[in-house]
Amino acid sequence: MPLWKNLSVIRKGVQLLAFLFLVYGSVFVGFYSADKISGAFPALSCAYDAKTADYCVLIPLQHQFGHSVGRALAAGTFTLSLLLPILTTLGTFLILFVLLNKAFCGWLCPLGFFQEVMGMIGQKLRLHRTESLDDKLVDRIRPAKWLMLSLLVILFPLASGLGFVGQELGDPFCKICPSRILTTLAAGQLNQLYIDTSSIGYMILSIIADTLFGLVLVLSLTMRQPFCRICPMLALHTLFRKVGLVKLVKNYTSRCDKCGLCAKACPMDIREIHTSKEKDILMPDCTLCGRCVEFCPDKGVMALKYAVIPIKVSDPYYFKERNRAQKVWEGKKTTARQSKKS
Amino acid sequence: MRGVWLAGVLAAMAVMPCPAAAAMHWAPAPVEHEKGHGGHDRSAGKAFVLVDGEGANLTLINPKLLEKPLASEGSSVTLKATGMGNYHALLARRSQAGLQESAIRYHYMNGKPSGTSPSLLIAHEKSALEIVPDPLAREHWRYYANTDARFIVRFQGKPLAGATVMMATTNGTTVGFMADADGNLSIPLPEDFAEVKAGRADNRPAEFVLTASHHDGDSRFVTTFSAAYHVNPEQWQSTGLGLATAGGGMLLGGVMIWRMRRRKEDK
Repeated sequence: MPLWKNLSVIRKGVQLLAFLFLVYGSVFVGFYSADKISGAFPALSCAYDAKTADYCVLIPLQHQFGHSVGRALAAGTFTLSLLLPILTTLGTFLILFVLLNKAFCGWLCPLGFFQEVMGMIGQKLRLHRTESLDDKLVDRIRPAKWLMLSLLVILFPLASGLGFVGQELGDPFCKICPSRILTTLAAGQLNQLYIDTSSIGYMILSIIADTLFGLVLVLSLTMRQPFCRICPMLALHTLFRKVGLVKLVKNYTSRCDKCGLCAKACPMDIREIHTSKEKDILMPDCTLCGRCVEFCPDKGVMALKYAVIPIKVSDPYYFKERNRAQKVWEGKKTTARQSKKS
Repeated sequence: MRGVWLAGVLAAMAVMPCPAAAAMHWAPAPVEHEKGHGGHDRSAGKAFVLVDGEGANLTLINPKLLEKPLASEGSSVTLKATGMGNYHALLARRSQAGLQESAIRYHYMNGKPSGTSPSLLIAHEKSALEIVPDPLAREHWRYYANTDARFIVRFQGKPLAGATVMMATTNGTTVGFMADADGNLSIPLPEDFAEVKAGRADNRPAEFVLTASHHDGDSRFVTTFSAAYHVNPEQWQSTGLGLATAGGGMLLGGVMIWRMRRRKEDK
């Protein structure tokens, strides 16, 4: 299969370009571009990275809840106008989000790309991979992203601004975010991989951050997208997923019941895309990577669409070619007969 | 070469007394220290003092280069929100008997996004002789002790080769530097905080003032750039321990993978 026809390869190319922009962007577009472009980019590009061209929406959100709304509530000076910065941040996020929907996760996020690259390295090292997690484990993990969003991005910063908890919890998600460590390390800075001894609170947060980073690094070698499953950005995207222009569509047929290859291909283990009979199958955990469409063997059953324009539609010929390319990549030998059969 | 550099710096020191004593420069007005994350109070005005700036014209330049005269109360000015976000330049200019002086300081103001990169304001020629930050520390990047800060010395919009620049800090350090042939200057910010407490919120920043001087015919030009610099967090943040903890996380990941595989095999 020619590489330019392989959606996964195209996606990797886009992810690489996005990684370069989000980690080293200032080298290409100038040091101050983060102040110009938005400051509310819906991907984990970090403001701690000295070379980045833009930064993650979660930084302004935490600061606005903590330093602005929380403090004003504590001082009794709260007015509705204080919500305007939050609405502006979410508005900026929403504009970009409408254009690409949750594809920000699957196509642009530097941490998502890093985990995929680690997975590819794991494949090449022939490590024993866990392709799909157990359903019960997946169900147990799923609420974690909502807890991360509500506690670490909204409630703790707000409580810190109100004075109920220490200032250590003013921006707790950034304090534990593995993308902060990843993107700064990628930019040649070692200053975000530290243990902070200034207070017990900071020390605990830095221990969590470094442990989480080490954990993600190793788990990604054998497991698909370990951090994405608990990422608050996934939850934030979920809130707006119905307004995005990129859609994942399914035309259910009775053959779907016996197949299930789409769910097996899904890096987020969303089994509902197999069982659902709905047209819109953009589930909360979906990152719009398009693998389910690639690995659907039936013509026109699954499609990735931009508004009404199909970007990728499932096709038996593509499926065969893609399957063969996957086996070649994984180093699994296919006999001439098997190849002919498939 | 080293002798020339030393002579230049000594000559500069002779004509430029310590900024705190003479050269006109901006400094933050003394306020009661508030603990916590600074720089995010959107409503409060920020007051600055122009040291040794009697008779100077004061201007605030916004990110789109619109200039607004500043009214002073004695030697201080209070900057209130302009409605426009991003970096603004505080500029003081004074001319007298063959001497042209300027003092520049950049200040971030919250407001509606300007839609303009700060590079426009920084590249804009604000005075004949100017010390230009390259780049100006932004967002989570501040000027920290024990790190290098880069600048370009410009005269009439062009880099000034071999310009001598004096740095004086409010912690008492005074050092001279010389720009290279392209006017570039790398200044190591000194680790000169007498008392360091663990934690960013417990350490007040200090100020550094860079002063450059240049003769052109009968005219002498003096300019200053001032900014705050902070205790380097490496004082209470250990990278070695961080690396060890990340290693522990990797080990934990390995154990998790091994347990998952064992469970699968048991089934």
